[in-house]
Amino acid sequence: MKATRVFQLTALALVLVSAVQVGWWLFDQHAYTVEKVQAARAAYTEQVAAAQALLDAGVNVARVEQLLPSIVVSGGRALLAPQLAQALTSEERRRYNQYAWEGSFFLLALAACMAVIARALRAEARVHEEQESFLALVSHQFKTPLASLQLSLETLALRAPPPEAARRLIERMLADLARMELMVTQILESARLERGRIELKPEPLQLSGAVARVCAQLEERARLERVTLATSIAPDLFVASDPLALDVVVRNVLENALAAVQGGGSITLSARPESGAVQLEVRDSGVGFAPADSERLFEKFTRLPGGGSRYGTGLGLFIVRRLMELSQGDVSARSDGAGRGATITLVWPAATPSTAVAQAAAVPTSPVQRGAAVEEPRP
Amino acid sequence: MSAASAATNVLVVEDDPHLAAGVMENLRAEGYEVTSAGTGEQALEWLATHGCVLIVLDVMLPGIDGFGVCRSLRERGDSTPVLFLTARGDPADRVRGLEAGGDDYLAKPFHLQEFLLRVRAIVRRWEWYRSASATAATAVLRFGGNEVDFRAFRARAWTGEAQELTEKEAMILKVLAEHTGEIVSREDLLERVWGYDVFPSTRTVDNFILRLRKRFEKDPANPRHFLTVWGVGYRFLKEGES
Repeated sequence: MKATRVFQLTALALVLVSAVQVGWWLFDQHAYTVEKVQAARAAYTEQVAAAQALLDAGVNVARVEQLLPSIVVSGGRALLAPQLAQALTSEERRRYNQYAWEGSFFLLALAACMAVIARALRAEARVHEEQESFLALVSHQFKTPLASLQLSLETLALRAPPPEAARRLIERMLADLARMELMVTQILESARLERGRIELKPEPLQLSGAVARVCAQLEERARLERVTLATSIAPDLFVASDPLALDVVVRNVLENALAAVQGGGSITLSARPESGAVQLEVRDSGVGFAPADSERLFEKFTRLPGGGSRYGTGLGLFIVRRLMELSQGDVSARSDGAGRGATITLVWPAATPSTAVAQAAAVPTSPVQRGAAVEEPRP
Repeated sequence: MSAASAATNVLVVEDDPHLAAGVMENLRAEGYEVTSAGTGEQALEWLATHGCVLIVLDVMLPGIDGFGVCRSLRERGDSTPVLFLTARGDPADRVRGLEAGGDDYLAKPFHLQEFLLRVRAIVRRWEWYRSASATAATAVLRFGGNEVDFRAFRARAWTGEAQELTEKEAMILKVLAEHTGEIVSREDLLERVWGYDVFPSTRTVDNFILRLRKRFEKDPANPRHFLTVWGVGYRFLKEGES
């Protein structure tokens, strides 16, 4: 890193020196040409004067023209041969043209070099800055659950609370640990996504099945937090996505929704086909956000005032957006304002299922799916 | 909010619900009444109509941050002591906190015992200051043409100029006034006014004494009220040394 920087700075210095040299060369050439042209003009003027002197002295015209080939005599007056005057002017012009073209070409090339190097330097500085702020934010994000964990443990040690209070403290500690674990996972995921090291292998996936798997993992937590999870997804909706990416996306969106509806509420998942795509809406009755913040939600470590990401890591929706971009899909968020719930809309390219999967999909596997199957468009 | 509960109430401003709950439970166990706020805006709104003995204030809050909350409070003349909690523990941040008007500063994660110790120290200090300024006789100090109102943190210098005192300046003045004519050591002043090793050295005390001299002495270079006792500390005289 440091060696590269030294190299870049050296190159920049060399290019700068070269530019100055080109400038100097142009100036020098111009001065030289001016001097040469003036000397030539002076020589011609002398010849004209000499010829005129000879003529005035009575030497005949033919003899004068023979002695001084650059002179023509017209009406008793010595003049410079017109083709010579013209040749001098055109030579002068040719040289200036050459300097203009060559000079501007070199200067342009050097300016391009400088721009490239400066750009690289700036990009590097930006990366460095981003890394710094990322580290600062990550350490902040970790220190809060860590502080909570330490406080709970020391409370247990200091106060020897009754079993009921102790259990509450232990549950809080487990939640803090889970939070830190989620954070580690998400930081690794986001780091891999940012460096573009993830390779997605899209395949036709049954959306209802994928969503049901994630819901099953979060059902217990939803129950404890008095959140009802309702899904309404037709089993014949297939999306083109990497299976792992689909799982991560749905899990992160649901985690986010759960964080938003702390203390009870509902989360509804519904899907519908949409010209070559499949759209999944995750609607929650949680804290919502100001409509103006709908884009900021997807930035890293966004914490909105009064937001529902209190338990969140600030990375969930960032990961969702990156994965959806890599899946040729799209994600957006909308809310009518703070306290009025939020809806996250995910859009994937639709896929045609392979025969085996399609047959499996034809048999609804849960009451929710059966209910939704009634709404299927009929052929 | 009644006056009685304001005397034991602590406001906890922390956006992390777990940490807030932990802090609040422990403060309640120590006999304080606790109110919580999740954002700086909420805290400022609550403080506009309520009083408390201490604010435990997280620095990194969504919206207006902890430093901003503290500055707003000080600007509107609210001198309620503030204990900052922050994930950033570097010295520069600590200084920022104290400059914003904070009384103490604790980096996350912190030890419960240390937290409670600091809370007690701050509360005790303010209880002493308030009770020591409670009567008409103790609320106002007059010396050498200066007049200090301890309850309003205001003073009128001998020049007639109105002065706004910081809490620390007022506290130092209070300690010195309580021991008029006696020698008070720098360590005693640190212990009484800061109560805890927030500042690394007794030089801090010297700087505050210089500020007091500038405010109230006719010739700060030759003080007649705030006298240095070399190698020990300071001595305050009401009448002035002739």
